[in-house]
Amino acid sequence: MPGQALPPPCTFLNVGQAFAGTQNVSNMNKDEAWKVNVRLQGCDMQNGYLCGSMEALNVPSAETPVVTFWEGELVDNRNYSFYTGQWDATKETDVKHWSKFASFLELREEVQKDGGKSLDLGNHPYIFMRWKEKFFVNVGSDCGLTIAGFYYVCFSRSDGSVNGFYYDPNSSPYQKLELKATNEGRAGHSFATYQFQ
Amino acid sequence: MPASASWASRPEDLVESLSSLDNTARLKAIRDVKNQIIGNKTKKLSYIKLGAVPRVVEILASDTEVPLLVQSAAAVGSFACGTDAGVRAVLDSGVLPHLLKMLQNGDTQVAEACARSLKMIFHSPLAPKSDMFQGHRMELLLKLLNHGNESVAEVAARVLARCCETKEHQLALANAGGLQSLVSLLAGSIKIREASLDALAALTKNNKHLSEMVIKLDNGDALASIIRLIKDKSSLTRLLACMCLANIGKACPGGYSQESEVRADMLSILMRLLDEPGQAGQDAPGVLADLVANNEELQKAAADQNAVEKLADFLLRKEVPSKQLEGVLLGLSELCSKLENSRRQLLDLQDLKSFNTSLALAAPLLLRPMVHGSLVAALRHPCDGVKVAACACVRSLSRSVKNLRTSLTSEQFVRPLLQLINDPSPAVQAEALTAVGNIVLDFTPQKSVIMQTDGIAQLINLAQSMDHTLRRNAVLALKNFLFMADITVKHRVIAELTIPTLCDLIQDPEEEVQEQAITLVRNLVHGEPDSIEQIFSDGGLLFQAIEKQLINPRPDIALQALYVINNVVSGSEVHKEAVMTSILSSQLASNTSWLTRFLQDTSNPQLRVVAVWCIINLLYPAGEDISSRVVRLREAGVEAQLHKMVDDSCLDVKSHVRTALEMYFGIRHIDGLQCI
Repeated sequence: MPGQALPPPCTFLNVGQAFAGTQNVSNMNKDEAWKVNVRLQGCDMQNGYLCGSMEALNVPSAETPVVTFWEGELVDNRNYSFYTGQWDATKETDVKHWSKFASFLELREEVQKDGGKSLDLGNHPYIFMRWKEKFFVNVGSDCGLTIAGFYYVCFSRSDGSVNGFYYDPNSSPYQKLELKATNEGRAGHSFATYQFQ
Repeated sequence: MPASASWASRPEDLVESLSSLDNTARLKAIRDVKNQIIGNKTKKLSYIKLGAVPRVVEILASDTEVPLLVQSAAAVGSFACGTDAGVRAVLDSGVLPHLLKMLQNGDTQVAEACARSLKMIFHSPLAPKSDMFQGHRMELLLKLLNHGNESVAEVAARVLARCCETKEHQLALANAGGLQSLVSLLAGSIKIREASLDALAALTKNNKHLSEMVIKLDNGDALASIIRLIKDKSSLTRLLACMCLANIGKACPGGYSQESEVRADMLSILMRLLDEPGQAGQDAPGVLADLVANNEELQKAAADQNAVEKLADFLLRKEVPSKQLEGVLLGLSELCSKLENSRRQLLDLQDLKSFNTSLALAAPLLLRPMVHGSLVAALRHPCDGVKVAACACVRSLSRSVKNLRTSLTSEQFVRPLLQLINDPSPAVQAEALTAVGNIVLDFTPQKSVIMQTDGIAQLINLAQSMDHTLRRNAVLALKNFLFMADITVKHRVIAELTIPTLCDLIQDPEEEVQEQAITLVRNLVHGEPDSIEQIFSDGGLLFQAIEKQLINPRPDIALQALYVINNVVSGSEVHKEAVMTSILSSQLASNTSWLTRFLQDTSNPQLRVVAVWCIINLLYPAGEDISSRVVRLREAGVEAQLHKMVDDSCLDVKSHVRTALEMYFGIRHIDGLQCI
């Protein structure tokens, strides 16, 4: 997908940035919520790649906090489009999930027409992503949580808030992730850095 | 057997006879010695001990009879074949000038025997390199390239190929017309063609200027000849032609019109050559590495042809020659330099060969990733080239958070790499340090693996090296080490590094060292107020050093200093006030504060973003000192400047300017209420 400019810099997509919030499972059978902490550990805008850790606290089915490592795809129309093309997600699943974000609605028509390939996403106030957990960091895979699915994520450039919906055909539908960028108790915003050689 | 014959063949007597005044006796002795040592290392060593070599060389130097010259040249070649002690002995006897001189002997047999011996000598890494460029030797070798006898011309090309190691050598040869002579040999027999390609590869290696010259030579005919040879019947010719073109492509990317098709062809040819026996197969991985270097598209194409798995297979084999192993590791390093999929493919490969299939199926957990052990073994290899290549491979694999979060930060890799950053070989040391820069980034706050070694002390030592690249890379490693580190780790680094040394690095004569040192401070002061406090210890020396860099004319250095200041403003009231004072004093000194200058800078939106964040941090949280800061910032013209930026071309700047102005408004509103 050539021809699209790189997304401009975004303060809250800086390595080391922390996010905190909750994940909710709310349906006819159950109504649960647990705390979630996320930390961004890698961000490569050029390749539309992000990664980090996600910690789930007080999960009803797990005895200890569960930490996973996730990797993200940035929908930038350069590296990744709105269509997932993997992880059991059909185009219909994609549109259905993206449509749960109010900021997607103005884009929906274009996306349904041709995948939204001509949209200027670099200047959109929200960044759409997919986060896919890759492995458990501190527990075994029998910890009571699954990482089979992935999150559709809508990220606000202006305040770093994250909204997400988990998709896994075998899990409760539309589990909602709500996170806010946090300063972790500091009296302001601070930027860490590292550099690969 | 008669007693006299047995007496005559005693080694001591044979050696004695080498200096006999009787030509026939000398000839017989030298022929006997030569026949005895061929293929017999023990005999070679024993004759070396008995002092035979100088006597053999003496014959070559002073005799004139053809049979004696032929036999002595052949004996020299035998001594030099297959043993370092032999090569050393013939070189120590000063044989080189005599062999070179005899290459011009009118007798073909003599010239050919000398050519063969020179080939033997130059097969060894002990052969002199720069020596061949002294005096008139280079001119002689170039002249010999055009010798009517192909063996002589071939050996001249081979010697040039082996000796040409530095840019000066390459240029000297080219200036003396070497390129043209070598190209004309491409039409010769297979041996001479290969020698010529070998020398052309040596001349073009890492040399943009000479690569361009080859491209343009004979209006592109020379290049076309080399391109034709990549499809030659001889596998060695194919390999050497690929080597030449890979060197030209690496030094001079996009240098000729049909380059991408040629590269694609070369990729397939080299992939097939990997399985060839002999030199072609052994050198193929290294050429493949040069071919795909800095070319992501070609790296993808290579991965599609299963190059990662194919090269990794050599890591499992026993007794792979060092040069081949080096090439394999360099190839893997290039293939994994950018592509995460290839890194994963390499690290996920399983050693299926060491298990039989049924066991593997029954116990998949027993399968261990195969490359880990091989990579660690390569890091401990006796040969420097292999160690450099292994470090390069680890470096490529470690450009991935996922790999760093799984296997690469284990002690298994960290310990040998830390050992290598003190290696006596500068090349090993430099490459190991670069890999360590990635590996120290273990994403755990405690950084326990490095903390348990003397790695910090070693890095601090290198941060004070005379070599600025080592200094830069050591500071970079320390910066990465401090990424999200806890306070214990930070205290230890600062205690060992010391504030004055860090200040020196911030003011280093080399800008790239300065930049790394400033970003190290950025990570140091990222965190709780205790972390930030360190910039004000020792009388605030560090803070002052950073303040000076805010006015560095290089925007990327000034930006890093601004990041440090921003992180300081995220601290306590005292920290915020220190920065406030800095803003106001810079305003007094030059009429425009550094903060306003950054806000007005249109060269890089990142400068404006961070400057706006400094303001947001100064206004947060709304506490006692806020009103006074609001007033002081307004007096410094900051608020007015923000109003001018509400429609900034950068989305990030625009959105945070709005946040800052809302904060101003909020604070004024609260103040107003308080007044009532």
